[in-house]
Amino acid sequence: MADAILNPGDAIDEAAYGPRKRGAGRWVVLAILTLLLLLVLFPFFLALSNSIKSTVDYAANGPLSLPTSVDFTALKKFWDVADFGRKLLNSAIISLVVAVFGVLISLLNAYAIGIGKVRGSRVILVVLLIGIMVPQESIVYPLYYMAKATGLYDTQLSVIIIFAVLQSAFGTYLLSSVLGSFPKEIIEAAEMDGANRWQILWQVVVPVLRPSLMVVGTFFFIWTWNEFLIPLVMLVSNNNQTVSVAMGLTRGQNMSDPTLQAAASLLGMAPTLIFFLIFQRTLTRGVVVGAVK
Amino acid sequence: MKLSTLAMAIGAMVLTSGMAHAQDKTFNIWWFEDAVSAQGITWTKALEEFKANHPDVTVNFEQKTFAQLQASGSMILNSDQAPDVLEYNKGNATAGLVASQGLLQSLDDAYTAQGWDKILNEGQLALSRYSDVGVYGSGPIWGISTYGEYVSAFYNIDMFEKAGLKVPTTLEELTADFEAFKAAGVTPLALGGADTSGQHVLASLAYTKADDTWVQNYQGLKAPLDTAPYLFAAQTMVDWVAKGYVSKDSTGIKDPDAALQFTSGKAPIYISGTWNLGNFSSSIKDFKWGQFLVPTPKYSVGSTGNLWVVPKGSKNPDLAQEWISLLLSPKYQTEQANNGGVSIAADAATVTNPVGQNASAVFKEIADKQGLGFYPDWPVPGFYDVLIQKVAGLLQGTLTPDQFVGELKTTYDDAQANQ
Repeated sequence: MADAILNPGDAIDEAAYGPRKRGAGRWVVLAILTLLLLLVLFPFFLALSNSIKSTVDYAANGPLSLPTSVDFTALKKFWDVADFGRKLLNSAIISLVVAVFGVLISLLNAYAIGIGKVRGSRVILVVLLIGIMVPQESIVYPLYYMAKATGLYDTQLSVIIIFAVLQSAFGTYLLSSVLGSFPKEIIEAAEMDGANRWQILWQVVVPVLRPSLMVVGTFFFIWTWNEFLIPLVMLVSNNNQTVSVAMGLTRGQNMSDPTLQAAASLLGMAPTLIFFLIFQRTLTRGVVVGAVK
Repeated sequence: MKLSTLAMAIGAMVLTSGMAHAQDKTFNIWWFEDAVSAQGITWTKALEEFKANHPDVTVNFEQKTFAQLQASGSMILNSDQAPDVLEYNKGNATAGLVASQGLLQSLDDAYTAQGWDKILNEGQLALSRYSDVGVYGSGPIWGISTYGEYVSAFYNIDMFEKAGLKVPTTLEELTADFEAFKAAGVTPLALGGADTSGQHVLASLAYTKADDTWVQNYQGLKAPLDTAPYLFAAQTMVDWVAKGYVSKDSTGIKDPDAALQFTSGKAPIYISGTWNLGNFSSSIKDFKWGQFLVPTPKYSVGSTGNLWVVPKGSKNPDLAQEWISLLLSPKYQTEQANNGGVSIAADAATVTNPVGQNASAVFKEIADKQGLGFYPDWPVPGFYDVLIQKVAGLLQGTLTPDQFVGELKTTYDDAQANQ
């Protein structure tokens, strides 16, 4: 983290002096970037163009052709069959609550490990990292039995608890390394002024760390939104299910409906995309500022 | 004093609300067939009638996904969240597993009491019966299927007529048709070499050389693999690739893309299951199409469909059985065939949809001669992926037919010896 902050000045210098060295190289870079941009946009384009195709059109002309006419049947069908409005709300609630609680747990953990210098903090971090690396398939059964024993099976609360904990493992790891390099002078100054630990956390550390917390929260939100296996297993009733689970409606036992799949992926990724566009500034600024601190 | 009045009031409330619940009977029913498939349409209509027949029951239907029940079926059935009746995937690894775990109610008594024995024959019950270790074919009846499925060749009637070809009734005629299309510059067979239809073509060809003993031994894991039918099938497929009946790049493609070659009118023949009927009926508008069976002496790749099962915790098993009876009734069997589905017991005279009429008649023909050969991957757990991988290798030329059957035999015999 610390290395990244050393030369923001260099970047500015380059930007300032760059225009003098105009040449073919810049065009090559531009061409490569354009190519990469097209590569990134291509799946979005496919999802869009196929979701507004009729099945007859798709069957006759395949996935790569442009739609012969605009047909919203697939989009409407998926929205209705999946009860998509409800699924959006479910996903939003689950992801938001996970983001808030995940960040809170991460912050408290990281404060203890990064600034509090708990004994054996490295060991704790390694254990937490294992928590992230274990494949979800292997913990599904224990989670299922625990959820059943506590009466939380088929409730959104079960998914919220699981992901708040799982993701705070990563958050703890990230934030403790940020807090590990937190300037001691600031904390010592606060202690001198008579602040207790609680006050230092909320009035000194959190304000400085806010951009990083926003980034972590945003990631938690997106990751939770995209989670599939655990929501699939834990949320039995259709009314409790999330967007990513509803996407399974487009894939049958032997058959899949490609236009419906395109419609589902378009509707499924739209919210995360919009969320990202809104929080894009927070994300990029957060990464830079978080690194500086 | 005040506290006790409060307690009594709460007690009374709990009691009345409990009674209200008891009067308000609910019936939970799930299935995962696509809403626009023949089954989905038929079952939705049947459910309307079922609701009308039981105005005092609140019927809750949930459209489930195949993925959800595949991933967590046994977990759901082992909880309070299980519905009163649901569609469940047939086979040892799914219905057999939950039956052996004691999560289902036996339907043995209902089978005769509800008169299902007059509709279904023993051959159509093979996948309803599971032994105490969850192997199909024997044991109590744990589920009932109300439709069938089989693998056949879909063909483009317009292209056949234009080329002056007729529907083949022997393997030689099929090859001759391939050759004629090839000579006219058309690659005749759309094949998903990296997907399920690859092994369906393989098994269809193997069944041209298979007798009763072979199929029963094979599906029952009763003897080490007799590779002769598979060797013939593998040689034929390699031959087809060499002669250009199958496109060279079809070795790496998936079923939806192979189906696309058929629906877009590029390839005149596509060999796959009746689950394509709904899609083809609604999406092919530019040409006429039909079905013919891959010519075999007796066995075809096919089986009865998914099962209706009644979970152990079902609170309304009587209603669940009534629901199954409704689906097996002539009315909804005919309805299903009219929606292009493969009915088990439709009255052929009253079916008006030619697609469903033909498919139901063909299925009845196969079932009546006890010719349901099931699917090639069923006997051995995990064989599905082995077959996909090996068939792709065969078509790409990385495996010779001899190596191919050798590798299948190794896997099969291993499972056979260790069962």
